[in-house]
Amino acid sequence: MSGDGIKGPQRDEIVDAWGGEIKVRVRVAGEGPPLVYFHPAAGLYWDRFLDALAEDYTVYAPEMPGTTPGDPYAIYKLDSYYDLLLIYEEVLRKLGLTGAAAVGQSMGGMVACDLAAFYPDLFAKLVPLGPCGLWRDDAPSGIPDLYTSAPQAMPGFLFHDFRTAPGAMEMFTPPPNPEMMPAFIAQVTWQQGVAGKFLWPFPDYGLRKRLHRIAAKTLILWGENDRVTPAAHAEDFHKGIPGSQVKVYSACGHILQMEKLHEATHDVKFFLKA
Amino acid sequence: MKVLAFQQLPYRYLPDDFAAHNRSVVTPSYFDLVEPAKMHEAHINFLDEMMHAARVGFDGLGVTEHSQAAYDVLPNPNLELAALAYATQAEGLTPALACVGRSLGKTKEPLRVAEEFSVIDQISGGRMIAGFPISLSYDSNQNQGIPPIETRPRFAENIALIDRALTEPKPFAFNGKFNKHPYVNIWPRPAQKKLPVWAPAVGNPVTLRGILERDQVFLYPGWFGPRQAGSAVFKRYWDMAAEMGRDANPYRLAFLQTVAVGETDEEAHRDYGPHLQNGFRNAFGAMTMQDLGLAGYHDIKGVEAIARNPVDFGLVPKMKTITYSELVDAQCCIVGSVETVAQQLIDLVKDFRIGSLLLMTQMGSMPTPLVKKSMSLIAEGVIPRLRQAWKDNGFEAEGWKHEWWPTGLS
Repeated sequence: MSGDGIKGPQRDEIVDAWGGEIKVRVRVAGEGPPLVYFHPAAGLYWDRFLDALAEDYTVYAPEMPGTTPGDPYAIYKLDSYYDLLLIYEEVLRKLGLTGAAAVGQSMGGMVACDLAAFYPDLFAKLVPLGPCGLWRDDAPSGIPDLYTSAPQAMPGFLFHDFRTAPGAMEMFTPPPNPEMMPAFIAQVTWQQGVAGKFLWPFPDYGLRKRLHRIAAKTLILWGENDRVTPAAHAEDFHKGIPGSQVKVYSACGHILQMEKLHEATHDVKFFLKA
Repeated sequence: MKVLAFQQLPYRYLPDDFAAHNRSVVTPSYFDLVEPAKMHEAHINFLDEMMHAARVGFDGLGVTEHSQAAYDVLPNPNLELAALAYATQAEGLTPALACVGRSLGKTKEPLRVAEEFSVIDQISGGRMIAGFPISLSYDSNQNQGIPPIETRPRFAENIALIDRALTEPKPFAFNGKFNKHPYVNIWPRPAQKKLPVWAPAVGNPVTLRGILERDQVFLYPGWFGPRQAGSAVFKRYWDMAAEMGRDANPYRLAFLQTVAVGETDEEAHRDYGPHLQNGFRNAFGAMTMQDLGLAGYHDIKGVEAIARNPVDFGLVPKMKTITYSELVDAQCCIVGSVETVAQQLIDLVKDFRIGSLLLMTQMGSMPTPLVKKSMSLIAEGVIPRLRQAWKDNGFEAEGWKHEWWPTGLS
């Protein structure tokens, strides 16, 4: 899914994975060196940030099995978070993307970090955006509140100021045709439910113990006012990933690639070129 | 026709404005809302009332499970059922003991459930009826930490393990996704050869199909309005039964209905009305829609169906501010004199082919004297009329046997 004024994906790669059990859809746009984008809990939402990256990179965005419209039950082929990591690695290997840059938002950030930890040669560069995966008693995960909040509370939960965040309003605009609403609600809810297999009640699979294995050059970005993955975790990622850089944007919530579109685009492109 | 008394165990002393300021599940503040002596009272009142139901002649006693809930403090109803198993046994009373049931989408210890049912069946001399709801979303997902999308797969695996644990003669290995046991051989086993199973459900076609496949009883709760929400569900069930080659034995269908009986209609409405109103408001009325289904709990087609047509949930969205008269109009509770209540139940039994009734005899703040009075009037007046109607409506003549009733020690 994506909004108006957004270029979006240009083509799809369908990769047979998991011994032929799952067809993973990878949405692709742009030209240039490969960059893999791992989406957050809500599913793949192609936004202006991805459009901007596609100006300089070929962006490959794999959809988590179960989130691709028309194939909801693919999720039942996965038993664990580790199955998910293996499937993603297989997809990237089959597409010849070893050595690519990786950007991941929220749940996608956790996945990108864990892929980098399990497979130290997989990514040359790594940019997690407000990633989950750690636990601190003094900064608990906001995932339970995210899932249990009423839909009306979602914009306030995800953004520091959703009225001014570019593209935020249109992200929550339902389809123009009311006949399509039930199917739209069902798809959006299911995508979050699929992600919930790996996020609920909070996503802590021991990534803290594995951060030291990450060899990819890493830039950690965070929004200071993130209510889903607390910004306090940024320092933990920074300390845990050898040689990493960290930057926290002020007046910014969980979806920093929208709320700080220009800064994030600049910082990520600068980092990837260096 | 079998008639059981069904009760939850609410904390009966919630403030009048509870629903306006609190959720009834997961987050209500125990130490702010509860006085220790009154919580003890609530537990004893429940047991006293259930014993009264047994003494006045209800065919059985029914309970169910909810954790971290102000409206039903039965995190493990088997504990109360065990107390009632022995207390009834000691008085020479033999009501069926229906746990409808233990939530299998929630439990991480299904073998313990199988063991507990077996224990209660042994203490009671073979009077247990088992039940295995999937669980409400808040209970499995928020209270127990089960990922919503794993609720139904966990239910399916747990029920398969329990089925085998209860009956397989030799120790067996079980290698599931959620349960791995090298040797399963529970002691004790049920006293009965086969535990009858009544499965509570609200009408999801996938669930109903499973109930019919396993040859269990479908137990439908009437809290959402038996005709508003129930008609379509009952039709769905009987159509599916016919399609699957199951007979039309009315004992395949059990129905849970809140009732309150007084000497006259006027007295009943006056005495029970306020308690029933706060009972509904403080339970369903104090839950969020997310409590009933986090993302992934319902199948994608189920979410679309609900979004298209919320009828299956009946009056749930209105429960926070529902009035007593709205509850009565929709038959969420059936209240009145013996005649008034009996006639409505007789009509429901006839229209929907209901073989077993669970009558919910307490709700909200309703105190023990009123509960016992209602129970006595039901036993003396409503139940005999129901049994007579069973003859008159032809179900008796059709010759059906209750294949899902406890068989005792024989």
